[in-house]
Amino acid sequence: MNNFKVIEVKQSIFENNDKRADLLRKEMKEKKTFLLNLMSSPGSGKTTTLTKTIAALKDEMSIGVMEADIDSDVDAATIEQTGAKVIQLHTGGMCHLDADMTRQGVNELGVEGIDFAILENIGNLVCPAEFDTGAAKNAMILSIPEGDDKPLKYPLMFSICDVLIINKIDVLPYFDFDMDKCVERAKKLNPNIKIFPISAKTGEGVEAWANWIREQVNEWKK
Amino acid sequence: MHELGIIFEVINTVEDIAKEQGLTEIASITLGVGEVSLVIPQYLRECWPAAVYKHPMFEKTELNIHVIPGEAKCSKCGTYFNIIQTEGYCPKCKSFDKEIISGKEFLIEEILAC
Repeated sequence: MNNFKVIEVKQSIFENNDKRADLLRKEMKEKKTFLLNLMSSPGSGKTTTLTKTIAALKDEMSIGVMEADIDSDVDAATIEQTGAKVIQLHTGGMCHLDADMTRQGVNELGVEGIDFAILENIGNLVCPAEFDTGAAKNAMILSIPEGDDKPLKYPLMFSICDVLIINKIDVLPYFDFDMDKCVERAKKLNPNIKIFPISAKTGEGVEAWANWIREQVNEWKK
Repeated sequence: MHELGIIFEVINTVEDIAKEQGLTEIASITLGVGEVSLVIPQYLRECWPAAVYKHPMFEKTELNIHVIPGEAKCSKCGTYFNIIQTEGYCPKCKSFDKEIISGKEFLIEEILAC
């Protein structure tokens, strides 16, 4: 034991990942691909929202999608029907994507000529919030049936997102979901968060969300 | 199982440090885990043996966890309190508005190695 020495590290565990994420972000900027990290809990309508988003934008930009799941490829198959370029990433039991996994996805997808790439993260409001993927912006979907108290329960997720999509507004009359309260709770955690209430099913509100993407993609290319 | 992914990050980081400093044996790693960091020490300990599988450098490594208390200052009345004990509310004025002073950390504090 005599040779052992104490090495003081004092390094945040997430520091390495943060560095790799910054590097990936820089490379995506050079390639002029706007990468969006899309997060939510399971069943919030991520894939349906994506299908509608792609339909609204596909004539004006080229779109690539990375579908991350613990297993299966049902989401990738759905997205493929929209005509967007799509790959399926399997995390093999891991509950989130980190910058290295995102890079592997980006390489596999091939982002040359892709204006808008979407990373559909694992359905989970906890872990994906802690790992920077290297995306330009973070968006999350909260659906009406999940309840307006989610910002209180998953504060980190709401704090790190640039956009909050509130989905399934078509079912608002059937749930005790207080939109004003939800907005107030989200804004308290993150005053700059952009909020888009939509119904991916009926298409209501999708245009405003698509407009935000148009602006971001144009800005990213500058 | 989000602790497993986090432990992989710990292993990656320590491997980088070992490479940099020419270390071959790691006797122990001490992690600082904040009470409000969303990481649960017990789960970290439980998944450690699975995480170090096929990482010979860590086979004998002891994992120490130092819990950093979640302390806050009430934004309304200025009282200092432990967030876990009061479930986030100020014990004096019952306000939920607070400034978190410590407990969000998750870091590698030190390693014992040669």
